[in-house]
Order: sequence, then structure tokens, then C-alpha cells
Amino acid sequence: MAARRVAVTGAGVVSPLGTTLEEFHRSLAAGRSGIRRLPPELSERSGVQVGATIDWNPAPIFKAAEAANLDRVSQFALAAAAQAVAASGLQMENLNRDRIGVCWGTGMGGAHTQEATYQQVYGAGEWRVRPLTVVMSMSNAASSNIAVRHGLRGPFASYSTACSSSAMALGEAMRAIAAGRADAMIAGGSEALLTPGVLAAWQALRTLAPADPADAAASCKPFDKRRAGLVLGEGAAAFMLEEESRARARGARIYGLLTGYGNSCDAVHMSRPDRDGQVRAMRAALTEADLPADAIGYINAHGTATAVGDVVEAEAINAVFGPAAREVRVSSTKSLHGHLLGGSGALEFAAALFALEGTLPPTGFLEQPDPACALRHVAREAERVAPLRAVMSNSFAFGGSNVVLVAARG
Amino acid sequence: MDTLARIRQLAAKEFSINPDGLDPAAPLDTLGIDSLSFIEFMFKVEEEFGVSVSDEDLKAIKTLADLERHVAAALTAAGKV
Repeated sequence: MAARRVAVTGAGVVSPLGTTLEEFHRSLAAGRSGIRRLPPELSERSGVQVGATIDWNPAPIFKAAEAANLDRVSQFALAAAAQAVAASGLQMENLNRDRIGVCWGTGMGGAHTQEATYQQVYGAGEWRVRPLTVVMSMSNAASSNIAVRHGLRGPFASYSTACSSSAMALGEAMRAIAAGRADAMIAGGSEALLTPGVLAAWQALRTLAPADPADAAASCKPFDKRRAGLVLGEGAAAFMLEEESRARARGARIYGLLTGYGNSCDAVHMSRPDRDGQVRAMRAALTEADLPADAIGYINAHGTATAVGDVVEAEAINAVFGPAAREVRVSSTKSLHGHLLGGSGALEFAAALFALEGTLPPTGFLEQPDPACALRHVAREAERVAPLRAVMSNSFAFGGSNVVLVAARG
Repeated sequence: MDTLARIRQLAAKEFSINPDGLDPAAPLDTLGIDSLSFIEFMFKVEEEFGVSVSDEDLKAIKTLADLERHVAAALTAAGKV
């Protein structure tokens, strides 16, 4: 039996750079940043100055009563998934949905619901808690809401591996299709944890960038000598993955083929990244995609703008790519959309697919490249090139989880 | 506003349905109100009226009219009417 390849036939985005895929692409192409000063209710007590927030209005998508029963993380997930379904052109009700499933990633799940509940219980001493608290805040709330909304009864899983969660969800969804366990999958991830308590916890790690005094939008500077840490963001990205021959038979638009998925654990440290773990994941993804390193034209780096992380990733890329590292364009779009944590792998996969078409999104505000991060940067402005053969997207998480995705032109 | 009218108004808001279209005698599931939604709704009814409906009584509530009877009884017991 010929290998079952996996095509991306739909995508949806809810991000600090726009709440549609097209808006997200336009912002990336323009190098526009969605990072800004946080409002006082988020920043004053937590000490966190900047974030990549979404001015989210659920009203056009959800009835008020419905929105009240969905954590923000599930609202983002449902909105992105609905876009992906619509873009795919699949009429779900006409399909055998025992063969369609959901793989979804999130780092924290319903953080807003959790924090509001703890605030009520411990802050206000009011122990009469909403009955929906459990199903709104559980880690699989977003994935289950997608499955329920679209009636998807096939393989189902939620992944929570911090910053690699949604990249892992994409990789595992690809595997479900490749193994013949599903014909299509909705895969991606969402995160919505910009609450005072969670921000305070992140601030305690001393890894967040302060506001750039001249321009808050420029606070996250991956690979730059002036980098000062990461900036947290929120949002979601969803994809319709489909077995290639079915997608071609119905004449679907194919955004790219998801052909490689590498997954490794550093098994070294809870937060310090490890070059060798990243190397193993990149090599595994290339092996599965059956591509030499020099076939990759663009890497969407994990690139969080921490002092150590960017250097380790640059070393890992150089170790894997060898001389080809001088050619492969690299950027970290976190400079523009912030770090979506559990949602970042999926959102950055959307950026990588954009690169596959020939628009390479930039690392925003990269003016003084750190010589310790020896890479061929796409700096400050997007580059237009001929459509690429293949692209890579890196997601390296706290806990040592490394996930690398490779997509090839369809 | 009487108790049933207040309950209907709450239900209409909670489930985004027209209060005039709510038949108090209709089984809750035919109104699209499942068991989980109903528990969340009861939480709001208890808040609204400042009463508490026991788990035992909750099981006996199959319609909005049943709910009204239990709330009215609870209000009477609490001396609120």
C-alpha cells in the first residue's frame, strides 16, 4: 500500500495579528507587531508590562449565553476551527465523521475560568462555585468543544506539553491519518492565559521582556544582541488535515503537505534548552519527510528572545544543516505575535505555510544580530522568493519537549 | 413579576430562546436543556431567588412548571413570600 500522505486543506487563525488567516498573513508580510502595553488590571500587580493581546469580541460568533459558558481558550479554538472547516470546503454533515477526529494542544486550558474561580473562592471567600467550572477549565475543553460542534467522532486527543503542545497535536494528527486511523483531522491549538495570576507566575521566572522604552511593539527581539526575553501572547490556529488522495480527488486547495514530524525530549532540565534534543527532533522530522536539510528553504524558529534559548537553537540548526545553514532563511515571528505557548506551534505553522508560498515572514526589530546566533535571518522585513520546496517549524518547550514539523509544497 | 415569569426570563437569557415560546409544561430536554445546562441554570435560579433546591428535589424537576413549584415552596419555607 502506498504511504498515505497528509495535505493541509484548510486553516484558521485567531491571533494578535488578526482574527483571520488572511489578516494574519497581511500583518506578517508587513512586519506589523501585535505586541503592546498591557492594561493596568493585568500589569500593575503582576509587573508584566507588555503582551500580545487580542481585542476579542465573541458576539459575532457566539450567542451571549453560549460565550458565558465557554472559556476564552475554547472560544478561540472554536473560532479558528470553524474558519479551517469553512476554508476546506468540506461539508461535514455529508461525511463519515467516525473517520474524522481532533488533535488539539493547549498549555493551561481554561486559565481564565480557573483564575476567576480561585479569585472568588480564596479572594472573596465565596465558595458557591459555578457548576460549569470543571468543564470550562479542563485541559480538553477546547478539543472537546470542537469535536462536539462539528460532530467529529474519530481519533481524539489533547496535548499539553507547554510550548510544543499544538505542534505535537499537528504531528499526531498527521500520524493518525498516515496510519489509516482517520481520513481527516482538525488539528491545532489555543492558549488564553493572560490573567493577573498567571502573568505574576511568568514574571517570577524572570524571562519576560520589559517594554521597549521607545516602542512597546518592539519589545520582543529574537536573535538580536539587545533581546531581553519573551512576550506572552494569546490566540489559536487550526488546520484541516486530509489524506492527500481524497483531497486531490475533490479538487481541494492544498496549502501544503505535512510530511515530517520530529518529537524528542531533552531529558536534561525543566527549563534550560538542550541543543542535542533539538537536533534529534529536527533530524527526525527531516528523515520522516525524506528530505535532505538543503531542501528546506525556511525555518520558523522557536526563537523566544531569551538569552540562552536563541543561541542554543542557532547551534542546533547549524549542527543539523551544516553548510546549508548559510542558505536556509530563518525567522522568529514571535517578535510580532508574541509567544502563544500551547498555541504557538500551530500559529507558527501557519506562518511557515505562508513562507512555503514564497512570502518569508521576518523577525521583527532585528537590527543588531547576535553573532552567537549565526543564521541567515529574515530581518525586519518580509522577503519575497519563489515558492519553496519545503519549510520547517520548530517548537521547543519547557519540560524539554521538542517538536519539529516539516511541510512540503503540495 | 411572578415566580414563573422570572424563571422564564432567566431561562430565555440562559438558553438564548424567546420567553414567549417557552412552554412551562414541556419536558426540559424538548426545550434543548440537557442535564449539565440545567444544573448550571439551577445555580442561577438559586442566586436569583436566594433559595436552595436539594439534590433530591432537583431530580424531580422535569419542567419549568416543576421548577416554579419547588422555588415557590422554598420561598414559602424561607418566609420570603
